Amino acid sequence: MPGRAIYWPHKKMLIISDLHTGKAAHFRKSGIPVPATIATDDLERLSELIETIIPDVLLITGDLVHFELNTEVALFHQWRKKYPSLKLKLIKGNHDLLKPADYLAMDIEVYETEYLCFPFRFIHEPPKQHDEYYNISGHIHPGVTLYGRSRQRIHLPCFYFGEHTAILPAFSKFTGLSRIPAVNGGTYYAIASDRVIQV
Amino acid sequence: MILEKSKGYKHVMKWLRSQRKKPFGFQSETWQYYAEGYSGLVNAPTGFGKTFSVFLAVVIDELNEPGGKHGTRLLWITPLRSLAKDLARAMTTACLELGLDWHIGVRNGDTSSSEKIKQKKQMPEVLIITPESMHILLAQKNTSGYFDELKCIVADEWHELMGSKRGVMAELAISRIKALVTGHHPERLLRIWGISATIGNMEQAMQVLVPYPELLKTIVIADIQKKIEIRSILPDHIDMLPWAGHLGHKLAHKLLPIIAKSKTTLIFCNTRGQAELWYQNLLKLDEGLAGQLAIHHGSIDFELRNWIEDAIHTGALKAVISTSSLDLGVDFKPVDTVVQIGSPKGVARFLQRAGRSGHSPFETSRIYFLPTHALELVEAAAIKEAAKHNQIESREPVVMAFDTLIQYMVTLAVGDGFEKEALYQQVKSTHAFSEMEPSEWEWLMQFITTGGDSLTAYTEFSKVEKEDGLYKVKSRQIAMRHRLHIGTIVSDAMLKVKFLTGGYIGMVEESFIAKIKPGSSFTLAGRVLEFIMVKDMMVMVRISKLKTALSPSWLGGRMSLSANLGAVLRFKYNQALDRHPQDEEMALIRPLFERQAKVSHVPSADEFLIEMIQTRDGYHLFAYPFEGRQVHEIMAALIAYRLGRVKPISFSIAMNDYGFELLSEKPIPVSEEEMKSLFSPENLGEDIVASINATEMARRKFRDIACISGLVFQGYPGKYVANKHLQSSAALFFNVFSDYDKHNLLLRQAYDEAFYQQIEEPRLAAALHRIQLSKIVVVYAESYTPLCFPIKVDSLREQMSTEELGERILRMTAEAEKKSQKGKRKNKHDY
Repeated sequence: MPGRAIYWPHKKMLIISDLHTGKAAHFRKSGIPVPATIATDDLERLSELIETIIPDVLLITGDLVHFELNTEVALFHQWRKKYPSLKLKLIKGNHDLLKPADYLAMDIEVYETEYLCFPFRFIHEPPKQHDEYYNISGHIHPGVTLYGRSRQRIHLPCFYFGEHTAILPAFSKFTGLSRIPAVNGGTYYAIASDRVIQV
Repeated sequence: MILEKSKGYKHVMKWLRSQRKKPFGFQSETWQYYAEGYSGLVNAPTGFGKTFSVFLAVVIDELNEPGGKHGTRLLWITPLRSLAKDLARAMTTACLELGLDWHIGVRNGDTSSSEKIKQKKQMPEVLIITPESMHILLAQKNTSGYFDELKCIVADEWHELMGSKRGVMAELAISRIKALVTGHHPERLLRIWGISATIGNMEQAMQVLVPYPELLKTIVIADIQKKIEIRSILPDHIDMLPWAGHLGHKLAHKLLPIIAKSKTTLIFCNTRGQAELWYQNLLKLDEGLAGQLAIHHGSIDFELRNWIEDAIHTGALKAVISTSSLDLGVDFKPVDTVVQIGSPKGVARFLQRAGRSGHSPFETSRIYFLPTHALELVEAAAIKEAAKHNQIESREPVVMAFDTLIQYMVTLAVGDGFEKEALYQQVKSTHAFSEMEPSEWEWLMQFITTGGDSLTAYTEFSKVEKEDGLYKVKSRQIAMRHRLHIGTIVSDAMLKVKFLTGGYIGMVEESFIAKIKPGSSFTLAGRVLEFIMVKDMMVMVRISKLKTALSPSWLGGRMSLSANLGAVLRFKYNQALDRHPQDEEMALIRPLFERQAKVSHVPSADEFLIEMIQTRDGYHLFAYPFEGRQVHEIMAALIAYRLGRVKPISFSIAMNDYGFELLSEKPIPVSEEEMKSLFSPENLGEDIVASINATEMARRKFRDIACISGLVFQGYPGKYVANKHLQSSAALFFNVFSDYDKHNLLLRQAYDEAFYQQIEEPRLAAALHRIQLSKIVVVYAESYTPLCFPIKVDSLREQMSTEELGERILRMTAEAEKKSQKGKRKNKHDY
């Protein structure tokens, strides 16, 4: 979906990755000015998705909270209360460093490394070994570069679907993009504002 | 007081006499002005004791009125670390012989911390410092005491500093120090002097350095002309030189006798990659040079460069291949010959490089120009012409660099803190920020205290806070991070290259290493290295058994021809068909121009040539404004856009310093009559915005701005890695600000820099106006012409490796020759 998410209708499950809640605030605390509106904007986009699709489960494949508790995490907590019936599952990412009690308070079901739901394995970092599960991961913040005439180019966030692993784009807009090499005919789906295009 | 009768003057004169020296006119003139309380700018050729003009003025002053206490009298700003060492040596010797009890100190990135602590206890009388270190000094606590005895600030090589943000750093630091001195010692007259090579705008250079209306100021110009001998290395026949190319290896063998008969030769190349290739090539031609030939450029390890510089001093090296890394700096006595390979792109740079040889007064600087392709012979003739008439480029001072100002404000907040109103006055008094509006200042204050203007929420922001009327940084973490990032030179992600067995060689770009596989080889510092792995942000290598390997391409921007040289070049084309040309270069290249005249046309200075050619590749339009590749890139996009408005058509674009090419699969819909309006300066601004992706250009400019203003942190290899939770990129900030904080001044600065520096809008407009006044000559040629050839090849270079390219050039030349021999009819239309 152009909303930087995947929906699995069979399980009524909405899957996103790398929300990085509290990252902008962490930057501001360290003296780097990042507008606060970016965090509210992220949550508004998420609300929009949830209110149109009405999933039972929101699955986050890692990096929900960026490093620490701060005003933006509190904001997320408030937001969480708006959807009591929504189940929230988190597979821990490298930036998820809150205490178990903090997650509990926000009614989040935490998985330390992975969440298996055949035929898929949901995991933060794309694994190197492969088995019968198809991996759905995040962490990388994948992006593609499209080239235009006279040395123009544009970087766009994208979904990546490889032979064994799919990588989700980062949901938060305050994230960078890294270009990844396609292995064995992987496919990129770039997100160009309101459309997803295969490139 | 009459200077000549003063004690100090007599003492200095006596010392000079004992050295069998006599002051030059400009030196005693400077002493006189200094004694009268003037500030100003000294302009003299290298090798004539520019340093001693101002330095001895301060010494004379000291001898006449000794200051009782120790402490810094003279702050000597130099852009280069390597200059500092030798300056200090010369000054120390002078002081010793004059019997003056002065310490000469050096402070820059290489100064050890123990030395810095020593300086803190007892500041040396003369402190030689870089702009960055000056700011780091201001980022310390209790700085004002450092300047208690200060009498003079000197900006050495001011022409070099002025055109960059480092110049802005110097301007800001001077304004601060001046205010500190005046605050503590209102009776003291602080003089500010600059030392500069000849540039087109000397008067402005002085105004930028000394913008203070209360100071008396003057320009002292030496009436001595340095003798410069310019010679071209000519092929025996014009056919020996390729029509296009950038290496010039064909003439390499002619370099060997020049190296052999000179004591030490400096060989300047335009890029680091080119330098590496020349090093290999010269060694291949003459193995006897092994051990006597060295290579010096910005990506070579500091220690190694030091060693090379020392070896040049002692005369141990026969030749050194270098890039602009040796443009400036200390005088190498043994160097008696300089070689420039390929176009130097500007007259000032060429003369500066020439000046690296024959240093002593009255010695002649000798420079050889080695053309890499045939048309560069005209450039050689043009440069000679410009040098003869002293037509030298201006340096544009940088203004309104808000990123640098933000960094400076935080620097002061990390140090002793600042008062808002007082600092505003100081900043406003500099040339760089004289046009700053109060609203902009308010925004900057908000940016460092609350994160941004109140329209956008920046909760929890903390950086600079107000305490007892002073703005300060309280967080030690923020302070430490800031100190590590003072400076305005933003480098690409570079990795250090290290031998497995230990020892650093230099640096390469991360993107280059990412592309090569372990086990493959590359050249650096003239050695062929086998890449083993990347470990701890370091590239581990060992000496490879291979003789040659690919050389890394460093992403340094390609320099563009200066407007000044472009104008002289156009003029030289007038003489291209002269039967008895003045210059040997022009005589040699005449066959090529006769050929050009036969298949197309040779434009004179008041003509503007457009060639329309149809080949297998499609329909080409070649135009020749001679304005440098940067202007051509924009102009090409502009013309493509205007043509596309007539009828949708897509082009690929190529350019070099002489002209540009539009290539399309379809016929280009323009008649000869419409050409003039196509190059019209009307609606220029709108058309530029519509034709090029200004956002993309601004985004590129924003990279540096984000670094300088402290939004993102450059990791220093092996030195400091940014906190991993604080990693981000300039591109991300550009998007975030564009989406959420449009009023951000840094964003505006990025667009301004793109428009004025990248797009060079004023120069583009001037070029279009000139074209309107020219006679437009449209030629429909049958095949590639000698003029368009280099453009065509340049466009291929970006897509192909060198070997492929070489073959392709040969084939294209052959094709062009075949076609013209058939003597097909050509269409030529003048109007």
